[in-house]
Formats: sequence, structure tokens, C-alpha cells
Amino acid sequence: MTRLSRRLVHCCAAVALAAAFARPCIAQAAPRLPGELVWTIGYDPKTFDPAKVDDQESEMVRYLTAGVLLRFNRLTQKVEPELAQSWSLSEDGKMVTFKLRPNLKFSDGSSLAAQDAAWSIRRVLDPATASPVAEEFLSPAGVRVETPGASTVIVHLPQRVIGIGKVFDEIAIEPANHPSEARVTSGPFVLADYRRSQYVRLRRNPSFSSAAGAGPALAAGVRLDILENPEQETRLFERGEYDLIQNLAPDYFELLKSRDLSSVRDLGPSLNTEQMWFNQFPLAPIPAWEKAWFSNRAFRVAVSQAIHRDDLARIAYLGHATPAYGFISPADAAWHDASLTAPRTDVAAAKAGLARAGFHWHGSHLEDASGHPVRFSILTNEGNAARQKMATLIQQDLAALGIDVTVVALDFPALIERLMHTQDYEACLLGLENVDPDPNAMMNLWLSSSPNHQWDPSEKTPATLWEAEIDREMNLQASTRVDSERKRAVDRVQEIVADEQPFIYLVYPNVLVAISPRLQGVRPAVLAPSLVWNVQDLRLAEAR
Amino acid sequence: MRLKLVAAFLLAAVILASAIIVARPGASYSRQDRSSLLAGASLRHPAGTDALGRDRLVRVAAALLLSLVGAFLASALTTSIAAGMGTLAAFAPRPIGALCLLGCDVFLALPWMFLLMMVRSALPLSASPLSSAAITFLVLAALGWPACARAVHRGALNLRRADWMLHARASGLRGIQLVRCVTPNLIPLLLPQFLVSIPAFVIAEANLGAIGLGIGEPLPSWGGMLLELDNSAMLFATRWVYFPVALLVLVLLLLEAVAPSDLEA
Repeated sequence: MTRLSRRLVHCCAAVALAAAFARPCIAQAAPRLPGELVWTIGYDPKTFDPAKVDDQESEMVRYLTAGVLLRFNRLTQKVEPELAQSWSLSEDGKMVTFKLRPNLKFSDGSSLAAQDAAWSIRRVLDPATASPVAEEFLSPAGVRVETPGASTVIVHLPQRVIGIGKVFDEIAIEPANHPSEARVTSGPFVLADYRRSQYVRLRRNPSFSSAAGAGPALAAGVRLDILENPEQETRLFERGEYDLIQNLAPDYFELLKSRDLSSVRDLGPSLNTEQMWFNQFPLAPIPAWEKAWFSNRAFRVAVSQAIHRDDLARIAYLGHATPAYGFISPADAAWHDASLTAPRTDVAAAKAGLARAGFHWHGSHLEDASGHPVRFSILTNEGNAARQKMATLIQQDLAALGIDVTVVALDFPALIERLMHTQDYEACLLGLENVDPDPNAMMNLWLSSSPNHQWDPSEKTPATLWEAEIDREMNLQASTRVDSERKRAVDRVQEIVADEQPFIYLVYPNVLVAISPRLQGVRPAVLAPSLVWNVQDLRLAEAR
Repeated sequence: MRLKLVAAFLLAAVILASAIIVARPGASYSRQDRSSLLAGASLRHPAGTDALGRDRLVRVAAALLLSLVGAFLASALTTSIAAGMGTLAAFAPRPIGALCLLGCDVFLALPWMFLLMMVRSALPLSASPLSSAAITFLVLAALGWPACARAVHRGALNLRRADWMLHARASGLRGIQLVRCVTPNLIPLLLPQFLVSIPAFVIAEANLGAIGLGIGEPLPSWGGMLLELDNSAMLFATRWVYFPVALLVLVLLLLEAVAPSDLEA
């Protein structure tokens, strides 16, 4: 037995030291082909069918392979014709007309005509396809697609859809009746090879020509290595085996910066937000007095005032984040309300607000009017160092108010189970990834009836007057034709959210990227895919 | 023997130094000095600070004490359970003894890492960091006894067959009287087991912490500090991130040296 235990100790010690010092085996998934660009994606794409894309990495493959009628320019944030030569929207916003460019071809050399475009749009709208894009038409069943000529496509909408142009950025035009899962495309690249858990290889589509009139993509191909280890990704980038990193963690950004300043860029605040919120779901399995705190505006505002957002940005993101007070990032200049009077850091004001709301201090500990000590847990996801650091910083910030906070990091499935099903949590710290600068894309977050209305999901009727007002304003911005009216409605929602603090916004993480000096043609944009949105213009210096 | 004494002395010195570091006025393992992040050694922070500006020396000292106290208690619990089960299996009627041994085998066959993950994720979210530490060591103890119990069973069986025990039973000794006779004779078997289990539990807690199943923030733990080594960006920021692992190795070596060797056992 003694020998057994000793062996156990030795074995465990070996495992601990191996875990502590082991570095991943550094090797590329496959040799680089001539003229090929290489970067990583975090996991295997769930599908190559462009109509069924529902995850980030499948979306990357679709972006690189799909030919679309309209392209949302990530740099100018404007919709531009791509396969379409021109497009127009009727006065009532219910009819979209596309005129295709002449001599369009698929990657197999066959001609691309209006029938192909119409078939591709109808396929997305077909309930049997179960395409997530269909929902963006609001009433997909009522949409009609016509082809009055060989190069004209008309889409009739049953109702006006805000930002309808951007929806066509997500619809790949495929050969009619021959869906090929990216093997035959009208975009810059074609799927050439896929090795599960290793890589996705794309080759240049020789028939592609961009709207600007340039020929096929400059790079001979793209290899997307499937790798979720940032350590390994950074090392391979340093060795010149990866050409870019699109979402660099702040500590690796600093590491690369210390070695080669020219390879990294901080593009400024992203559209993404990091926020915490309290569980206000009436049936949540938490004590009634906690529900009373969480639904008390003064409590939420006091918590918000006690948080040092500058420290969160400086420490958790090493300065590569911007303190956040609202849900629209300053990167979204058209919609961000810079005049917001959100609660700023002021611990004295937070204490005064709590005292006015009936809270009191027993020694250094905060108690509510009934004498319950104020303590709660903040849930966040495991594996996100910045979030865990923010939660620990907030833990100390709230200790200044006498609030005892426990930080709990759970793996993502367990976290989602609690957030979406059991509602068994007190507070949560998570981020929201915004890919669309138009606030209309956040309807599912703000409408009180939505299951994604996180602090109190799927309300039958708005629980409070201010939630009812948010519903009204969001519905108004989605239906009005007047831009100034839309802006006013969205500004009002920003004001209400800043005033009521259902989400306590913390930071807007900056977009951090690394670009190989050999890579040419890069024009970084804040919107994803930030470095490869103009992939057809990218090439390696020695490729020519 | 001299090596054991030196090791015991050094171990005591490390524990004493840690206790002094943690107990000295103003020391806090959780206070964040936000103006001094990942700092190197200084008078204020002799072993620098971590990424949140917390004093690394105080955190390492607190982690060492917490780990040793937890491992000591867990080892005591494991040894006690093993002693009880092993003795019961040896002295109880044969069917009960067989049942006890079967229980040991079932426990040995359990996927304990999976069980630990289940128990940790089932903990209430509001469980304090200290509770999570206590539960971690309790679970380790609850899962660590079966191998030890089998060893105790063999020792107790030998005792049962010993001539003096036959005499004692023939003289009419029963129940608690027999236990009183047997326990002192099991101590030479239990003590090494107890001592050997301590480093096993220390390293088990460190491993759990390194995979995110250990003690919650802001309480320091070996595992939490080892996590820093997983990030090369951190390694370049300050070499003091190696300090916890260096001390962990030293403490494990000292514990190993203090515990009886195989031959002695």
C-alpha cells in the first residue's frame, strides 16, 4: 500500500509538473502550398452548406467562398453591390430589385444567371432548409422571388425590413438545384479539402471577379488550421507559419508587441460589450429577498457606481479595452449616444444610494432592511482569463460597499443550462458579440418577450414601465422609415438602459490583431472578419 | 535518520515562516494593489505581485498553509476510515468482511476525477471559497481511503491470526476490548500511511486547481498559481511566476523525506 501511495504521489507530481511546464507540440496541420494564406479557426465548421450556417467558423468559410449579391463593406460599413451590378429598394421598402453583372460564372465554369440567384434565395426561405438567415426576413413565408429577366431578380417582402441589404450579404448564390456545400461557388475561393480537427483548405476560384473589376483572388488558396490553443497559435505566428491572428488576447498582444511592434495592431473598441446583470426572473430558485435587491434600481445603480471600469480595462485587458456605460460602442459612431449620463464610479454616491434604499451596514457588512447580509455570486465562463479577472476585480470593488461576492467560473454548457433553463444564478458576467452595427440586430435582446432578454427572459407582458417603453421604442425604430426617428428611439433606449442598469456595462474590448509583415493588402476593420474582409486582395509578399 | 530530521526541521521552518508571513499585520492574500501589477521583488512585495496586484509571497504562504492543513485533515480522515473499514473487514464475520472489501473494490473502480467534477459543479454557487476548499479536501479524503483500507485489512488479518490474539479471544475478550488491543498494534501501519497520504493530497489539490476544479478566488491555492505557467506571455512578464511551483516541489520533497521509506513501512 505504501508503495502504491508513493507511486501515486510520484505520478501526480509528474502530471502536475508536466501540466505546468509542458508546451504544446508545435507543428502546422499541413505543409503550406505555394501562394497559400494560412490562419486558424477555433473549431471544426459545423456545416459547409452556406444556407445552414449557424456558427462563427462556418460563417468564416462562407465568407471566403460565397458569392453574394450585396456585400456589407466592413471598413466603410456600407452595403455595396457584389454579384449585383446595381440594386434598389422601393419607396415602401417592400421590393428589392437586383440587376446582375454580365458574364458571371461559377467556379466550375458554368454561367450564373438570375435563376440561380432566385433559387438560392428561395432555398434560404424554404422552411425545410431551416436557414437561420430566413428569420431576418421577419416573415419568410410571405417573401416572393421573381426573375423577370435573365439578369434581374426581384424580391417582394410582406413587410419592411430594416437593413435588408445586409441580409443579402449572408445569402450565397449557388447553382440552381445543385447545392454543393462550397465545392462549386461564385465567391473568391472554393472548398478543396477538409480534414476533421486538422484544417479546411480552400483553393482560388478562377472564375471569380470582384465588383471592382479585378480578377480572381491574389492568393492561390487559404488554409484554415483548426486550433483553439492561443499559445500555439502565437508561437506559430512568430515562426511565420500563420499569416494573421484576428482575435488576439491582450497578454499575447503584449508579448508579440514586445518582440515586434510592427506585427500587432490595436484597432480600438469593438462593437462587443462585456456586462454583468442580476437575475430578475420572478420564478428563479433564489431567495425572495435577493430578488428584491436585484429588482431594486437603487441597488443596481449602486453596484454600477462602485465598479472601477478604468481598472477593469487597464488590468483585465492590459489597457486594450474601453470603459463601457452603454450598449452601443463608440466604434458604432452612427448610433452611439455620447451624451449618456450613465452612473460613473462614485463609491460615496453608491453608499448614499443604498442607504436611501433602506440598506444599512452592520460593521463593515451591508445588510438589507430585513437584516439579510448582502452577498451573491457572480457566474462567468471558465477559460476566459479577462472575464475571471474582471469578476475578481469587481469582487474587491463591491467589498468597499460591504457586499460579499463569490466568483464562480463554470464550463459553458453548465453556464448556459443555468442561464437559459434553470435560471439558478444570482448575477452573471458575460460578453455579447455584435456583428452588426445596426441596433435593430439587438431586437432579440431588448424586447421583453424575447428568450434572450437575459435579466428576465420571455416576459408575457413587460414587468416594468421602463421595459414597456424599451419595447415601444425598439418596435418603433424597426418600423419607421424616418432615420432621425430611428436615431431618437435608439437614443431613448440607451438612456433608459443607462438609467435603470438592467445590464451593467463594463468594457468594450478592443480589436487586437497580428499581421505578418509578409502579408500584403490588409486593410484592418473593426467589424469581423476584421483582417480578411477583403480576402481577394490579400497575398504573401513572395507569392509573385 | 539524519536526513529525516533535517527534512522535518526544514518543513517546520517553512510552515512557521508561512504562518508569520500570513499573520503579520497588513498582510492580505486578496488585497489588490492596482498600481503594482506583475511587479518584481521589492521591499513592499518581496516576491512581487500577480496579475491583479496581489502580494505573491503572502498568497504562496497562504496556499501552502491551506494546502498542508487540508491535506493533513484529509489524510487523517482517510486513515481513520481505512482503519475502521480494514479492521471491520478482518474481524467481522466473513460475509460482512467480504462486503467491506467489495465496497473498497467498488470505490477503487470509480472514475474519481469525473466524480470530483460532478461534486464541484453541484456545489451551491454561493459556497464561499473556504467551503469550496473544505469540500475539495473532503471529497479527496472520501475517495482516497479504499486502497489504504485494503492494506489495513491485511495488517489486521495478521493480527487476528497472531498467537497473542488467539489467547486474548480465548480468554473472552470481545468487541471494544478487542479494538483497544488491536489499535495500538495497527499504528505502525497507519502512521506511514497517514504521512504518505499528505503529499498525495497536496498534489491532488494542485492538479484539481490547475484544471479549474480547485479552490475559488480570492483564496490562493497551488493549482490556481500553477495556472499562471500555462501562459507564456505571463512567463515573460516576470520570472516570479515560477516561485509557487518551486516552493511546491520543495514542500513535496520535504514531505516525501519525512514520510517513511518503503523499507521502513
